Amino acid sequence: MAKKEIKLNENDPAVSRRDFLKIGSAGAVLGAVGLSSITKDAAANRLDKHLVDELVTIHDEFPVEVRADYVPPRNWDHVQYRSFFADAVKAIGEEVDDEIVADGQAFAQKMNFAYDDSKIGYTKTDKALLAGAWAMNNFSAGPSPAGVPDFGVNTWEQKTKKNPHALFDNDYVAKEKATFKSKQEAANQIKRAAKLYGADLVGITRRDKRWDYSKFLNPIPPLARKAFAGPPSPEQLEELHNWGPDKFVTDWSDFPFVPKTVIVMAFEMDYEGISTSPSLVGSAAAGAGYSKMAKTPYQLAVYLKNLGYQAVSAGNDMGLSVPYAIAAGLGEGSRLGQVVSYKYGPRVRLAKVYTDFDFVEYDTPKSFGVMDFCKKCMRCADACPTKAISYDKEPSFDPTHENKDNAWYNIKGVKKYHVDARKCFKLWGELGDDCGMCMASCPYNKPNFWHHRLVDSITAAMPGPVHSFMRQMDEVFGYGNVEDHESIKKFYSPKGKSYDGH
Amino acid sequence: MIFSGIEILFFTLGVITTLAIGTTYYFNKKLTFTAGTWATLGLGIFLLIFCIAWSCSSVLEGEPRAASMGLVVFGIPGLILLLLGRKLAIKKPISKQV
Ligand code: SF4
Ligand code: SF4
Repeated sequence: MAKKEIKLNENDPAVSRRDFLKIGSAGAVLGAVGLSSITKDAAANRLDKHLVDELVTIHDEFPVEVRADYVPPRNWDHVQYRSFFADAVKAIGEEVDDEIVADGQAFAQKMNFAYDDSKIGYTKTDKALLAGAWAMNNFSAGPSPAGVPDFGVNTWEQKTKKNPHALFDNDYVAKEKATFKSKQEAANQIKRAAKLYGADLVGITRRDKRWDYSKFLNPIPPLARKAFAGPPSPEQLEELHNWGPDKFVTDWSDFPFVPKTVIVMAFEMDYEGISTSPSLVGSAAAGAGYSKMAKTPYQLAVYLKNLGYQAVSAGNDMGLSVPYAIAAGLGEGSRLGQVVSYKYGPRVRLAKVYTDFDFVEYDTPKSFGVMDFCKKCMRCADACPTKAISYDKEPSFDPTHENKDNAWYNIKGVKKYHVDARKCFKLWGELGDDCGMCMASCPYNKPNFWHHRLVDSITAAMPGPVHSFMRQMDEVFGYGNVEDHESIKKFYSPKGKSYDGH
Repeated sequence: MIFSGIEILFFTLGVITTLAIGTTYYFNKKLTFTAGTWATLGLGIFLLIFCIAWSCSSVLEGEPRAASMGLVVFGIPGLILLLLGRKLAIKKPISKQV
């Protein structure tokens, strides 16, 4: 039996004998397993189950407190949305902060066009790496990273027939619905498909309106949302002619079906790439993640449509990926605001598929001590040059940072560490890349080697007072350096990488 | 490369572990260890093998500092325990003779 839900945000647990015994008992199991003559797989499964039971907390409910007055955000509350689509936000009668617009313009201008061959990490070759990394997102999902839905592969359209202008088109909802013997079988098959298409982690959760954007601002005319969908119909041309701010805002009543299930996927970002943060190489690692976010969920949506169910793929658009990923058991919240997964730490990008299919085994949230560790660690807060990350000991319902009274994209009413998005975005504008130093410095950000998983397990078993020591040891061992030029050389070095056909 | 470093590492660790167990068993027959000697030698061997595993893994993932810290944090205590264990193992028959 897994540990039952603990009450959240309890005070730091005192040093208990039980905590110290956890690892010892795991070792005993290892010994017992070694002595018996059971097969290797059975031994690994038994040890894994024992460790999971001892170190992972399975929650029945969403494991973060949400205040009654919490209001789900709109997609234009997203920092990048407000900056990049300022005209559209103004067109619907809302104010936009000029400083934020300027930061966004500086960021986009530098990141897309500027390079400097004398600046390591920002040369023409780094810029080319970045362009290639983002290419799939830019081509197929366009502005999804800034929160714009219903574009390209993330279309809301649920065709019921093949496109007559396309030789190969499987993107339509099949007439006959596939059935599964059990909910578990359905979950297994969906997860298997997601993995095949490229997801590194996948979880299935119920749709939760709290985490969906309550309204959507989409200034792009429907005709311009797809690369090629055949010649425009007279109705489409008429719609284009009449397009204007009165049609910019939509909500869930315009969505083609009632979603019941959200499949959440995580994509690992390249460890060596993220280690170069801040640089265009680090941004390329993030961009490559965005391109995976454009590809895999779309493939999974087409898979679900072929099973006879409606489905829409999404990256950052549609809803908040972090709580959805927590709900789907992909990881825990953290001080730096991202989900920390067990295998890759915060070094993941998240995407979702909304579907009306609900005969499926749902996952439960799991925690393995990250929020507890964050209380003592604060390494990301130290690494952040703008001090956008909170040094608060405990998470809070409201932002506590300098710009708290004028903070957007900060979900008030959810007990978490609030990041000052304004300060963070300003640095992006100055650097011309998306920084990522907080992520690179986090002790949970490690390559997927056995000894890091061992340390993570020990960390999960250890009580709070040991965590500061663990953080110090991480630094002493040389992990999590930022602004390190050597890391760029290491990223490009062919050593340890197989290029010659083996 | 055809064989990955980690495959070679774990194969080598298997060989080292077998040799370590064999050697300990051999000396136990000759010197008959006490429980204290067993514990000291056992922990020393474990730490040294863990040190090799840790440091080689850190080199393979390209973190030389973590590798050298591994040598300091796991290797030195392992070596001290092994030397201490050796001393305890040799001392015992002499004390019996007295
Ligand atoms: S991305 Fe950079 S500026 Fe933003 S919070 Fe992280 S470290 Fe700070
Ligand atoms: S660096 Fe430390 S405080 Fe920040 S998210 Fe990672 S574990 Fe938490």
